Amino acid sequence: MVVTPEEFRDRYGIDARILHEVTEIDLKERRLHVRDLKEGKEHREAFDLLMIATGAVPFCPDVPGSKARGVYGLHSLQSGIRVRDVIDREKPERAVIIGGGYIGLEMAEALIMRGLDVSLVELAAQVMNTLDPDMGSLVSEALMRVGVKLFREESFRSVEVEQDRVQAVVTDRRTLPADIVILGLGVRPNTELAEHAGIALGVRKAIKTNDRMQTNIPGVWAAGDCAESFHLVSRRPVHIALGTIANKQGRVAGINLGGGYATFPGVVGTAVSKICDFEVARTGLQEKEIADLGLDYVAGRIEGMTRASYYPNAGKITVKALAERETGRLLGAQIVGVEGAAKRIDVFATALHAGFDVDEMINLDLSYAPPYSGVWDPVHLAVRRAKAALEEAP
Amino acid sequence: MRKNQRLAIIGGDAAGMSAAVQAKRRNPELDIIVFERGPHTSYSA
Repeated sequence: MVVTPEEFRDRYGIDARILHEVTEIDLKERRLHVRDLKEGKEHREAFDLLMIATGAVPFCPDVPGSKARGVYGLHSLQSGIRVRDVIDREKPERAVIIGGGYIGLEMAEALIMRGLDVSLVELAAQVMNTLDPDMGSLVSEALMRVGVKLFREESFRSVEVEQDRVQAVVTDRRTLPADIVILGLGVRPNTELAEHAGIALGVRKAIKTNDRMQTNIPGVWAAGDCAESFHLVSRRPVHIALGTIANKQGRVAGINLGGGYATFPGVVGTAVSKICDFEVARTGLQEKEIADLGLDYVAGRIEGMTRASYYPNAGKITVKALAERETGRLLGAQIVGVEGAAKRIDVFATALHAGFDVDEMINLDLSYAPPYSGVWDPVHLAVRRAKAALEEAP
Repeated sequence: MRKNQRLAIIGGDAAGMSAAVQAKRRNPELDIIVFERGPHTSYSA
């Protein structure tokens, strides 16, 4: 939610300066080099304590034409407003989205709803590569059902430009005419400032912190999309750029900076998204991550209904649960379905935090009434299927 | 009189502003300044 600098000053007593860019962190002198972008002037600001929350920036592929007018990355409120303004003002008819992740999916929905002709180019066999391919294929189908032209296993080669305006997107297989191009190729931590200052970086060049959000430099803290998290299932550091994590890490850093004591133990990789009427959710590890850890696992996948099957507006939901073969411990879950599907992922996310195995999950006392589920929720059914797979001879 | 401790925050989005608000609530004596290169700041209480 947007809160203006005036509100921060009046309500919270915080001096927030917009359009001020920090260009250097001087740890020896304990001061920042700050550029006022409106006035174009640079000055120094002293600090006793420093908190780095520089976020993430979109991957911008180094291909011909990718800097042309009409090509947009989406990573901030401002970049979203800019794309909306361009659509209102220039009325583009044909959009090409590069990348079928969260940004690609949500932009596809927004552009389809605004009546544009939308094509989406995805390098992998299915969109949403944070899901297993069998679940990702359901999302691919959903995209096509709402009218998105989907081009899978195609690599983005260049943007054709005329008079500094986008004309088309070129892949290894075709040329797609385009008035507007959206880059949804993911983000990377924005950590050049920190790196230059000698602050330790970790996985994918995200800033390393301890569980109180302290960096390796005394008095310097970090949180949000620029910082690492600890993955509670894989027990390894990860970089996941999501607002859910940013808010929690920021809260913990702030409590500690204010003299309190708080910790952020880690994440399980929970995320939801949607494309029109189809909801998508995931948590924990997916099959390829489990295989990378060298663990043996089983999958339980079911197709169920979001409400009791006889109840009005009951719709399809597919739930997949992954469990460790040796111990039965839940490792991850994915859900694709209609309204009411996605938030069921929070049961799995909580179970991952608790370290539950499939038996503990089967006996979970989840709510039931016909408007909400069958007596066995689809969550239960998927876990029962995983349990059955565990009991089969390996 | 001792000058208040000064906390500088780089980035005025979710993490930066959550930290600013929490730190100020715990320690109202803290002098907090946030630098945001974009035109917006945000916060979810």
